Amino acid sequence: MKNLLIISTILILAGTIFGQQLNGTEIIEMTYSRPTSNTMEANLSMILENSRGDQRVREIKQFTKEFGDVEKKLMVFLKPNDVKNTTFMSWSFEDGSEDQWIYLPALKKVKRISSDSNSDYFMGSDFTYEDLGDRHPSEDRHKLTGEVSIDGHDCYIVESIPNDEEYMYSKTITWVIKDKWIGYKKEFYDEDEELLKELSLVNFDEHGDVIVLTEVKMNNVQNDHSTIMRLSDVEVNKAIADNKFTERMMKRGIR
Amino acid sequence: MIRQILTTILLAGSLLGQVEFGGYARNYIGVLTEGDQEFAIIQNTLDLTLQGWSGSVSYFANPTIYQSPGKDLSFDLSEIYLDMYFNNTDIRLGRQQIIWGKGDGVFITDIVSPKDLSEFLLPDFDEIRTGITALKLNQYIGDQTFEFVYIPTFTSTVFADTSSIWSRTPDFPVPMTTDYSEKDIPAMLENSEVFAKFSGILPFMDYEIMAGYMWDDDPSMHITPTYLGPPPALSGVTLSPQHHRLSVAGGSFSTELAGMVLRGEGAYYIGKHFQAQNAMDYPIDLLEKDYFHYLLGLDFSKGSTRFSTQFIQQAIMDYDELIVQEEAMNTLTFLANRTFLRETLTAQIFAYAGLNKSDALIRPTLSYDLADGFEVLGGANIFVKDANLGDEEDPGQFGYFDNNDMVYLKVKYSF
Repeated sequence: MKNLLIISTILILAGTIFGQQLNGTEIIEMTYSRPTSNTMEANLSMILENSRGDQRVREIKQFTKEFGDVEKKLMVFLKPNDVKNTTFMSWSFEDGSEDQWIYLPALKKVKRISSDSNSDYFMGSDFTYEDLGDRHPSEDRHKLTGEVSIDGHDCYIVESIPNDEEYMYSKTITWVIKDKWIGYKKEFYDEDEELLKELSLVNFDEHGDVIVLTEVKMNNVQNDHSTIMRLSDVEVNKAIADNKFTERMMKRGIR
Repeated sequence: MIRQILTTILLAGSLLGQVEFGGYARNYIGVLTEGDQEFAIIQNTLDLTLQGWSGSVSYFANPTIYQSPGKDLSFDLSEIYLDMYFNNTDIRLGRQQIIWGKGDGVFITDIVSPKDLSEFLLPDFDEIRTGITALKLNQYIGDQTFEFVYIPTFTSTVFADTSSIWSRTPDFPVPMTTDYSEKDIPAMLENSEVFAKFSGILPFMDYEIMAGYMWDDDPSMHITPTYLGPPPALSGVTLSPQHHRLSVAGGSFSTELAGMVLRGEGAYYIGKHFQAQNAMDYPIDLLEKDYFHYLLGLDFSKGSTRFSTQFIQQAIMDYDELIVQEEAMNTLTFLANRTFLRETLTAQIFAYAGLNKSDALIRPTLSYDLADGFEVLGGANIFVKDANLGDEEDPGQFGYFDNNDMVYLKVKYSF
């Protein structure tokens, strides 16, 4: 599926060279199919901040690797201490299906968990599991509503309305940086079409043609709570053994 | 003594390249809600984990110290082992807890590490297991694993002391004496236990296939009656707990269906000794039978609440009407869990329900994370007994503790 998108992206790019105006769907397809690394290893810090300024910090070591039609991810929780060495593994298939497991050190057991909880919030943060994944462009109807320059970035503004009326957001609006095909800002609207959350890009790194978003901030405007997600020690296309994404490594942790 | 052991463990750990400490401190207080409202438990716990590693070798120790008012410090070394990692093979050697199966709170194929039932099923699951000294070898073949466990010496289930409110002793209308001379299994090569498991986590399904040649962790009660007469009348019994060999084969699976996780687990046991009535209607004889133990479980979410339920059955094969236990014992478990306030507040209810005796154990809890790693948990253990049962009738494993309802508070700091 993603291969098809890459071919269509090449065709779209050829179209833009000859001066054709992109539509909303094509812009979102470009962001979805921009080059990604085959592997990535990084430390992830999540800083949760409430309206009083109280902060809670979660630290995770994460590994990702593409295996043809499946992307495998392993996350080892390092902090807080009561969840230390808890491990989460997911295998995401191109058809959109996903297998997920969790290893809880106290139970000493790897458990398969349902991947049907994408609307749940991840570790008490402002990100849902769905927010952290790549939503396929075909799941929404996209419309280019304008172009604007923000903080020196020329952006397309694309409104996306989900095909599934039961989806947790009634619509999203994304500001896509034109020459990089990454989101600079995104607004999420609740079922009453009220603004719920704002995602903003704080920092990114370029590793060749691969762009890694190294710091983003999600602000829930309805309850004045925010989460900063910061990646550090990012290594892309580094050799990661295939067996990193197995039950064995879930139990062993980062060693 | 405890200080010396801890010092030795810490020093040994520090000899390895990198060392990491962790653990928790916990205060646990529980009071019975019936009778004189005695404190069922007042306990302060320091649980330490120490992990060191150097190259392809690592070391783990988990000493725990329990302190209760008016009692001596108690020390438990639940795990202490060495890991050796090779390319596709891992070897773990030492005292360890080994957990198998897909069931929650049920012991069907999860029988390698025996249980500590000194507080019935109430402790956290990691505290219910006792460590066993074993050699564990794992051979990895892609996403599948062959595991072999060799246990040189047998470890029995730990039962509550006879003075404990969690003690359950046989009920005879005559004086009883207990003879423990046959209880221990001599530490000899021929008395070893072996287990093997082949498992895999695959797209759409996880599975385990296992077999074991073991000792029954729960002793069978050999009862010698004394009769006076004529006519012969029971005047006394001598109880002699003894462990017997068991062979077991089974497996388990879990898979996702329509957003739910379906789990199953089953095992066939050969050679279990069941208590049976003798010619004078006393539960004195033992009959050797096979039995099948299995469960089916479903995990699902509804809104923000997570549910899990299991049906468990233990069925005795080639049943004899003289056996005290019913031919099929059915149990249900139910769990509902929901978090609030960004996962800092968790409400949960977990229940076992015995379907044969209409008894139950209901465990509601509410926990709040005051700060990261600092949890306050309040809960209750409510035992339910069928009110229609007569005094002579078996109230079931949960109904038996009907007078032990308690509320408790745990404050835990993880470091």
